Amino acid sequence: MAKVFAKNLSSKQVMTTDGTELGTLYNITMDLDTSELVDLMIRPDMNVDTSDFQKDDQYILLPFESVRAIKDYIVVDKKIAKGMQSSE
Amino acid sequence: MRAEISSLFGLNVYTNAGTYVGKISDMVLDVNNRKVTGLAVSDINREIFDVPTKGVIIPYRWVITSSDIVIIRDLVNKFKKLEKEAYQE
Repeated sequence: MAKVFAKNLSSKQVMTTDGTELGTLYNITMDLDTSELVDLMIRPDMNVDTSDFQKDDQYILLPFESVRAIKDYIVVDKKIAKGMQSSE
Repeated sequence: MRAEISSLFGLNVYTNAGTYVGKISDMVLDVNNRKVTGLAVSDINREIFDVPTKGVIIPYRWVITSSDIVIIRDLVNKFKKLEKEAYQE
């Protein structure tokens, strides 16, 4: 799994490594100068407690570093996602 | 500068010589290296791309700047120049 089209990822389900579904991918932010991918913007499911996460309006922001795998689901490492937030 | 990827969709792509290249329709992401590697460009300028396909993929390293439009390095003319030089030799 190396290269994917951005449009293939939109509306994909996002799941953490402990099996919790977070929601669907809404967008990805990038750094235009370095071409690096910065954050995932996730539209959270109704039953998800979003208080633990960094947010932008109604969307959860997860650093792209926390992505473990992308195929049928986007799998993110919850520990890294939260660790990054507290270190900031 | 940071931007949401989908905000770039539909932007016109020009070279720094002012030649129209096409419109961004998608992006190629390298998930393992966390980078954008390419722009999928459609509605391409057939004068510079002699291809039967709907669009082309342009490496992101050619991008000089992007805001209201995207400007890429003018490699088309560069190739022409190289051809000319080779011919003269």
